[in-house]
Amino acid sequence: MKASIRPYAFSALGIAGALVIWQVLATAQVAGNALPSATTVFTTLATILGTGTFWSALGATIGIALLALALAALAGVVLGLLIGSFESVRYATLAVLEFLKPVPPIVILPLAVLVLGPTAEMALFLVVFGCLLPIVMQTVDGVQGTDPVARDTARSYGMGEGEILARVVLPSAMPYIGTAMRLAAPAALVVTVVAGLLGGGPGLGQTIYQAQAAGDYASLYGLVIVLGVLGLLFQGATRLAERRVLHWHESYREVVP
Amino acid sequence: MRNVAIRNWVIGTGTPVLLLAAWWFLSANSTDPFFPPLETILIRFQELWLFDHFQSDVLLSLGNLFLGFAIAAVVGVAVGFATALVPPVRWMIDPLIHFLRGIPPVALVPIFISLIGFGTQMRVTSIALAALFPTMIATVDGIRSVSNDLMDVARVYRLSRKERVFNVLLPAAMPQIFSGLQVSLQVAFIVMIASEMLGSSQGIGAMTLLAQQSFMTADMWAGILLLGVIGFLVNILFSLLKRKVLSWYIGSRRMARAA
Repeated sequence: MKASIRPYAFSALGIAGALVIWQVLATAQVAGNALPSATTVFTTLATILGTGTFWSALGATIGIALLALALAALAGVVLGLLIGSFESVRYATLAVLEFLKPVPPIVILPLAVLVLGPTAEMALFLVVFGCLLPIVMQTVDGVQGTDPVARDTARSYGMGEGEILARVVLPSAMPYIGTAMRLAAPAALVVTVVAGLLGGGPGLGQTIYQAQAAGDYASLYGLVIVLGVLGLLFQGATRLAERRVLHWHESYREVVP
Repeated sequence: MRNVAIRNWVIGTGTPVLLLAAWWFLSANSTDPFFPPLETILIRFQELWLFDHFQSDVLLSLGNLFLGFAIAAVVGVAVGFATALVPPVRWMIDPLIHFLRGIPPVALVPIFISLIGFGTQMRVTSIALAALFPTMIATVDGIRSVSNDLMDVARVYRLSRKERVFNVLLPAAMPQIFSGLQVSLQVAFIVMIASEMLGSSQGIGAMTLLAQQSFMTADMWAGILLLGVIGFLVNILFSLLKRKVLSWYIGSRRMARAA
């Protein structure tokens, strides 16, 4: 019994220790005004949480991230099924996809800002660009990984191509898509923040930029803490959703040690 | 069968060529300020990067990228080992790591700007810190997933602690560590660009954003092209390194699958 409490005690100790170090460093003025104390940051954070502008920025960030994620998922799965089903399409897109895959959306941020301006559409476009390719690639892998015996069985039962796609190929690609979505969800949040921070799009990124430009360091730290919590929530929520949706799949049926 | 292979090869190499040709001809007489002719972009590309700003900006950016990534790799693996092997340390810093990992890496850049200023130091620190977490977490996962049998055998052979760490644990965790390093490299690349875009005047990212803000569209396109090529090449180089270092692992996997 005692042993099971110990990890939590150490965790609490670690968090408390970090806060104390922060407070001591800040009150010792090691970095002047640029490092506000923990107490200042948390009182500022409490004030920020009471303002309407904060909540509308938070809403914009979450809204853009989720909408873009949904669009990317829809387009990504459709494209992935298309590319995975036809060999010629797969070969035609291979080189382009392989080139674009390691290119992060921040690279085309200047172009997006130039054409679309510092708007929600710009942020949306960047997030979709960033999340689309991994989802497409994973869906293609999933389609390729479909058990050929299951496919043949479905065909011998007289299923049409469309029915096979919906009942055999798509379900067997689901775990791949699930993995892609689990990785894409936090990325969507990150890109939304980047679009606000560097491109002036609406949301918390823009709020952070304003705090930094105005030298309002307490707000800056407070907002970054908010983003950390938000990032954790996104990760937790997607993991939960993945397990919910894929509870039938064998890799989720039992806990793998 | 052979015809199909040839057809696929033709489609595979033909499509990118076709797309580039389409870009070249469709944009040839373009007067759209956003989409200048590809020819103009390539001329600006050559004028800017080969080799006028090569040393002052391209090498600077790449130097920051590799220095930051190298620091992140070494510290990430070391801290990962410490956390995985000493449970109290793991319990203590686990929640902190998870919280820090939740923060978008780019959001840390403004904090480093306020603490250190706009210089090279800030950029390397931002890159190193942001790239630290994927490697560290992958290292911890890699060590935890080393099979108990392997450790028992090491103990039966009375290997010392040092031998167990360097000759058993490190190689066994290597595949996962390398996956983590690859993610770290991508994060490092993103933060490299972000740290330059936020208020500095040097580096490829800064030049690209500056070109956009001053409506020098061809310069902006040249910057985007260069960044895209760098992102692609860095990833390819790392994959080659990974294949070389992990050749024993890839070989053993292939044999296991064939068996």
